[in-house]
Amino acid sequence: MNGDKERRATSAPLDRADERIRHDAGLAGATRAFLDRVRSGDLGALPVVIGLVIICTAFQSLNPVFLSSNNLVNLLFDCSTVGVIALGIVCVLMVGEIDLSVGSVSGFASAVVGVLWVNMEWPAWLAIFAGLVVGGAIGALYAVLFNRFGMPSFVSTLAGLLAVLGLQLYLLGSTGSINLPYGSPLVNFGQTLVMSPAVAYTLAAVTGAVIFATAFRTAARRKRAGLSARSLGSLLLRGIVITIVLELVVYYLNQDRGVPWMFGLFVALVVAMNYALTRTKWGRSMNAVGGNREAARRAGINVRRTHMTAFVLCATFAAAGGILSAARLASASQQAGTGDVNLNAIAAAVIGGTSLFGGRGSAYSALLGIIVIQSIASGLTLLDLSSSLRYMITGAVLAVAVIVDSLARRSRMSHGRA
Amino acid sequence: MTDPVSQSNSRNGLVLSLRGISKSFGAVSALTKIDLDVHAGEVVALVGDNGAGKSTLVKILAGVHLPDSGTITFCGEIVVLDDPAASLRLGIATVFQDLALCENLDVVANIFLGRELDPWRLDEVAMEIRAWTLLNELSARIPSVREPVASLSGGQRQTVAIARSLLLEPKLILLDEPTAALGVAQTAEVLDLIERVRDRGLAVVMISHNMEDVRAVADRIVVLRLGRNNGIFHPDASNQELVSAITGASNNAVSRRAERRQGSREHSGEPRP
Repeated sequence: MNGDKERRATSAPLDRADERIRHDAGLAGATRAFLDRVRSGDLGALPVVIGLVIICTAFQSLNPVFLSSNNLVNLLFDCSTVGVIALGIVCVLMVGEIDLSVGSVSGFASAVVGVLWVNMEWPAWLAIFAGLVVGGAIGALYAVLFNRFGMPSFVSTLAGLLAVLGLQLYLLGSTGSINLPYGSPLVNFGQTLVMSPAVAYTLAAVTGAVIFATAFRTAARRKRAGLSARSLGSLLLRGIVITIVLELVVYYLNQDRGVPWMFGLFVALVVAMNYALTRTKWGRSMNAVGGNREAARRAGINVRRTHMTAFVLCATFAAAGGILSAARLASASQQAGTGDVNLNAIAAAVIGGTSLFGGRGSAYSALLGIIVIQSIASGLTLLDLSSSLRYMITGAVLAVAVIVDSLARRSRMSHGRA
Repeated sequence: MTDPVSQSNSRNGLVLSLRGISKSFGAVSALTKIDLDVHAGEVVALVGDNGAGKSTLVKILAGVHLPDSGTITFCGEIVVLDDPAASLRLGIATVFQDLALCENLDVVANIFLGRELDPWRLDEVAMEIRAWTLLNELSARIPSVREPVASLSGGQRQTVAIARSLLLEPKLILLDEPTAALGVAQTAEVLDLIERVRDRGLAVVMISHNMEDVRAVADRIVVLRLGRNNGIFHPDASNQELVSAITGASNNAVSRRAERRQGSREHSGEPRP
């Protein structure tokens, strides 16, 4: 408070002129601001962190293999496939829509790759590209149905779930499944390819440095422009803590095989999407359309185009996830993309903190959410529980996640935080 | 009925001039041969009963509807406003009655919505500075521009909506019921805001049902009735005159009620401030 008064007495930054607002400076202030945010229903990553702690304690006490390096490396391999699909779900949830067919689209894309690459002997990259294009085309079709005919995405994608599954079965018809050749780059990427320790340590260090550098530059610009800015000390502390945590994780994973390149790709996609959603005009319009479609329209945003990009991105990510999981399993089968893939992807996005009601979410929710979902799946597999129990438990977790989302939303509304 | 008030007020440049604007929806004539002049640095209040055509007129000016006939002259040139973007380009900004803000976005994002600086690498610092400059020009009391709009009061949201309309340096601002949903203090704030906007040399057209508010800020009061011009008044015209122009009869519910009250009290006249 004293520091506040002094600042005002000399020359208050442009955004600190109003004396009604409390300025949370320093560690105590940051803690207070965080508690206020949580109390008002702005939970952020908190449910995920709490959930992960509970999951880890429970499964670790039941089976000490759970937190072993080996199991965690496997976990990261498994996360990457459905995680990429969840990243697409984040896109459609941002604009307040849904895509229920991501599982079918992922299975169909893997079938396309299998048929084109193995049966018709196209080059692998071309087959993958074709799979992604097919996925994008399905998304574009949903967008056209939505924009032109006002068909609710819930219904159009439910129809798509069946139709695309039919296409997948048709493509694989005679054989039922296509084995992808072992030893090919794609299958290696999905099953064994890990970063060498030096690369992994360097990447972790670079990540910390980049986070610090961008924050530092922003702070410097804000200070020059006469706005309040975070202090150098807190930025440095954050950068160092992030670097140390990342290096420790890498060290632990390196005790076994190391960090999978596939997980690296997933994280890179998440970071790219996060940039696109928060730092570009397109991302701003996605948020606006999800928050208030009519307001976005009157502000001159092309709402139809925004929907189009959301659906196309979602289906393309779904196709990418399907291709990755085909690589992981070294086969394109009739079962690919069926079962719980759909709901795991949607659940991951919601558990990670993306709202089902639009206008609220982040690319990181796909990363956080899928780690929770896969931890549960992995833990239950280690306990050797039957799939009946696994479905029930995963379902219960999803229900809890949606309840938390709804309650948090209600609390945000009563606290005036949208 | 038609006072020659408009002539005395043309000291500033004519910004907007409507001549013979008509608009019908099917069999219903919403507007018939409307004339309207608005000058720079002037607040024109558009009043009328429900269904008088006020909102249709504003929508025509905002580019939402096309008029069936008549001419719109803006800054000396005849223009065609065939979509909202055309109006915005000319410098006609509209603050809609429901404000059209995105509650999940913060104040800066709302002010710059659709017009962000640096589309591929949003320049948040420059946008925040511009937002503060705009809000300070309006003497707005918004504690933080990084809070979501959902946490703001009605008056503060109105300020944000008006600040957004000022971002493009418009020549004419249309305000549809700017005080309808506001409390006493917030209404006063918004009226102050309108005066400050006028003092910056902008032309303002304001729709309102509240005669007190209209009288407080308007330089001229234009009455519409059943889609036609029904008189132009000074703000110091009596309530009776205005009400009879709005309702189209000197013997109406408001005047009868006023008479009854006058009869029951001995000295007091109209309950006016």
